[in-house]
Amino acid sequence: MDVDVVVLGTSLSESITAAALSKAGYKVAHIDTNPYYGGDDASLSLDELVSWADERKADNDASSYLTAQRKRFSGISYFGTLPPQSRQYAVSLQPTIIPSIGPLIDSLVASGVSRYGGFKLLERVAIYDSPGIVKPVPGSKEDVFKNKKLSLLHKRRLMRFLMFAGGDFENKPELQESESVPFAQFLEQKFSLDAEAIQVIVYALAFCISATDRTLPALQRIRRYLRSTGRYGPSSFLVGHYGGLGEIAQGFCRTSAVGGAIYILRRPILSIASAPSETSSRKYTLQLEDLQEQLQGDVLVGASDYFQDDNTTQENVVGEATSCSLARCIAIIDRPINFSVSSSNEQPSETRDISVDEDGSGADSLEVASEVDTATLIFPPSSLEGGSSTVSVSVLITGEGSQSAPRGKWILYITMPLIDEQDTTETAEQLLRPYLNATLSLGSRSPEMSAALEPLFTLFYTQLTPRNYSTPGDAEPLSSIIHSGSYAAYLPEIADSASINAEKMFWRAVKALKALGKYPQRSQEGEEEKAGEVEVESMWPPLEYVEDNDDW
Amino acid sequence: MHGVKRIRYSREALEAKQQRDKAKLQEYLALTEEIISRKKNGDYSHEAFDLTTRMLRVNPEFYTVWNYRKTILVKEFFLKSTPHQINDVLSGDLDMTTAFLKQHPKIYAIWNHRRWCLEQVPEGPTEADPNGWKMANWKKELYVVEKMLDVDARNFHAWNYRRYVLASMPVHRSEQSELDYTTRKIEANFSNFSAWHQRSKVLTTLWETGKANPAQNREEELELVRNAMYTDPFDQSVWIYHRWLIGEGSDATILQAEISSIQELLDEQPDSKWCMESLVHYKQLLLRNHSAIIGAEDRQVVKTSCLDLLLQLQHVDSERKNRYGDLAVRIRDMDI
Repeated sequence: MDVDVVVLGTSLSESITAAALSKAGYKVAHIDTNPYYGGDDASLSLDELVSWADERKADNDASSYLTAQRKRFSGISYFGTLPPQSRQYAVSLQPTIIPSIGPLIDSLVASGVSRYGGFKLLERVAIYDSPGIVKPVPGSKEDVFKNKKLSLLHKRRLMRFLMFAGGDFENKPELQESESVPFAQFLEQKFSLDAEAIQVIVYALAFCISATDRTLPALQRIRRYLRSTGRYGPSSFLVGHYGGLGEIAQGFCRTSAVGGAIYILRRPILSIASAPSETSSRKYTLQLEDLQEQLQGDVLVGASDYFQDDNTTQENVVGEATSCSLARCIAIIDRPINFSVSSSNEQPSETRDISVDEDGSGADSLEVASEVDTATLIFPPSSLEGGSSTVSVSVLITGEGSQSAPRGKWILYITMPLIDEQDTTETAEQLLRPYLNATLSLGSRSPEMSAALEPLFTLFYTQLTPRNYSTPGDAEPLSSIIHSGSYAAYLPEIADSASINAEKMFWRAVKALKALGKYPQRSQEGEEEKAGEVEVESMWPPLEYVEDNDDW
Repeated sequence: MHGVKRIRYSREALEAKQQRDKAKLQEYLALTEEIISRKKNGDYSHEAFDLTTRMLRVNPEFYTVWNYRKTILVKEFFLKSTPHQINDVLSGDLDMTTAFLKQHPKIYAIWNHRRWCLEQVPEGPTEADPNGWKMANWKKELYVVEKMLDVDARNFHAWNYRRYVLASMPVHRSEQSELDYTTRKIEANFSNFSAWHQRSKVLTTLWETGKANPAQNREEELELVRNAMYTDPFDQSVWIYHRWLIGEGSDATILQAEISSIQELLDEQPDSKWCMESLVHYKQLLLRNHSAIIGAEDRQVVKTSCLDLLLQLQHVDSERKNRYGDLAVRIRDMDI
C-alpha cells in the first residue's frame, strides 16, 4: 500500500490533520492500534473504559505503543461495579468544554464535519463555596445585575472589568507593564476588586490553573469566552454529544475517508523502517501485525507513543506550551448534583414574584437550588480542606442532555493539573478523593442524605504529558516525521489547542511533501484531475455550494 | 444585510444562481401585473385570493395586495359563507401570518393583518358559546406574541401588539402577572426600553386601580433600577425608567436619597454622562420644588454644583455642548 502520508493515532489533532490532508488531495493512510477511534481523546463505553484501564494496568508483554501508554497512564485504580447498559455511556478520556468561537468550531464549519456532530450548551459554571453550597459565577451583565450578593459598588467594578476584558485591551493603559504579572495582582491593583471577585474571575472566568498564571493570556481567554456568549445561546461553552472530542475526532475521520483515506484500526505496528523497500520509492515502510501487505509513505504524522525514542528530535513535536500532567477521576453517579447557592444570598429573583403565571412560565425563576445535567464546578486553590493549596481543580458533569449517559445517570470528571513536584508522590486517588466527596456532597440538600451518595463506579489515574515534549520554536523545521504533542491544560482550551496543533501539523506535512516533490493529486476546484504542481492554498478547500430551498 | 452567511460560489454555481434570480424576477413582475389588473377589474374570485397568498409569501410588504385580500374576503367570501367557514379562513390567515412573522418580525402590514383577522372572528361555534372562537383565538394570540418576544425581547412591534392583545382579551390577565413578565424580560436583558415602558404602564394601572401600594412599589423599583444603573451606567433605558419613577420629584426625601446614590455612582464612574445629566435634572427639581427645606446657602451650593456638572458634560458629551450651555444659562438665572 502506497500513500503520501501515514497518520498514526486517531486523537482529535491527528484526525483533523488526516481530514485536511485527505481533502487537499493527498493519499492518506490512518492507523490506530486501538480498536476504537479517538486515541487519548476517545469516547468509550463503560466496558471499553474498563478494558482500556486493565490494558494499561497490566504488565504483560505488549506492543511498543501500549508500553508507551503504560508509562503515561499510571496509578490506575477503580472501584464499584459497572452499571448495566454499558453502551449507553460515552465516557471521554479528554473531558472538556468548547468555546463557541475558536479554532475548533472554525475547523468544524470549514470542513463540513459539523454536520456529523451535535452539542449541548453548558448550563452552568459555579465555584465551590462550602459543603453542599456553590457560588454562582457572574460572567455576564445579566448575572451581575441579578446577583443579590454583590454590593452595588462591586457590581460596578466587576462590570467595568468585564467591559475591559471583552474589548481590545492590548494597548490600554491598564495593561502597560502588567502583562506578565500574576492575574490576581493585576485585578486587585487595576480594578480594585475584592478577594472574592478576584477568585471568581481568575479561576471560573479565565480558568487559571494556579495563582502564578500571568495576566495577558488570562485576559485573552476571558475575552474569547465573553465573545462566545450568544453565538449558540446564553452560555459561552458547548459540550459535545456522545463524549465530546472522541466523537468529533470520528467525524473528521469520516470526512477523511470520504476524501479517499484508508483506515486501519486495531493493528499494532510491528516496525517502522526508514529504508525504502524494493517495491516502493517512499521514505518509510511500516509493518502492521496480521497484515501481510506493507505500508509505504513519505511523511509520518502521529502521536509520540507510536514512535521509538530514536526517531524523535525536539523540533518535530507540535505541542502546546501550557500542557502539564494531570490527575484524573471519572465517576458514574445515579443521583443528580444540585448547584444550590446559599439561601441567604440568592432569594428568588423577586420576593413579590411569588405568584406563578397562569401558564406556569414563571415557575423556574423561583428555584433556588437546581439540578444540573451539564455543568462545570471549579475548586480554586485552598478552597477545600484536604485539597490542593496551589492548583485549581475542575469538575465536569455530563448527563443525558449531552447524550453521554442514560436517563438518571451522570458522569463526573475531576481533573487536577500536576504542577507541583510533591503532587506526583501521591496517587490520583489520594489527591482527588476529597474533591470527589465534596462534589458528591452537592448531591442532596440535606447533609444526612449526602453521606449515602456513593458513585456506582469510580476510576482514578494519572496522565503524564507525552514524552519528548518540547516547546516548538519559531523556525518551522523541515521533517518528514511530525509528532502530535500535548494539548493546553486549561479546561476550555483543550479542543482548540488540538485544532491549532492540527493546523501546524498539516502545514508541516505539506511542506515536507513539497520538499520531496509530492503534490496533491486532485486540484482544489474539483476540476479535471491535473498532473503537476498544484499548490495547497488553504487548509480547508471551499465547501460545495448547497442549494437553499426557497419555496417559490 | 445582517446575519446572512457569505457563500463561496464557484463560477458555474454563480452563473446558475444568476439565471435562477432572473427567472424569479420575471415571475414576480408577471404576478404583480396580474394581481393589479384583476383588482382593477373587481375580480373577487377564489383564484384571485390564492394569487394574493402567493404574492404575499414573496413580498409581505405589499400593502395594496393585503388590502385587495381583505376586500375579497369582505365583498365576496364573508357574504357567501357560514360563520364556520369564515372562522376557518381567518384561522388560516392567522397561521399564514404566524409563519410570515417568523421570517419578518418587524413588518407592520403583517401585524396589522392579524389585528384585522382577529376582529373579524364571528360568534360561535354555537349559540350557547358565542365567544368560543374568539377566546381560543385571543389565547393563541398571546402565545404567539410571547414566542415572538422570546426570539427578540426588544421587538417593539411585538410589545405594542402585546398591549393590544392584553386589552382585547375577553378575560383579562392580572396586572401582577404582566409585571412578573416584564421582570423576567428585564432580568434577561435590562437594556430594553419596551420592557421598562411596559412596566411603567402596568404599575400605573395597579396604582390607579388601588391594587398596589405606590410607596412600597416605588422603593422596590428604585432598588431594582439602582442595580441596573450600577451594572451598566451607560445604558439609557435604565435612566429613563428612573426618571419616570421620580417624576416631578414631589417627595424631597426620595429625591435627596437618589441624588446621593447617583453621586456615589459618579464617584466610582467619573465619566458617566447619564450620572451627571441626571444629577443636574434632579438637583434642579430639588431647587424648584423644595427650596424651602434647603437653606439659602445650600441652594447656592446646589446651583454651583449643577453648573460644574454642566461644564463637565460639555466635555464628556461634546455633541450636545450647546444644549448643556443653554441649561447652564437657565440654572444661573433661576430665581432662588
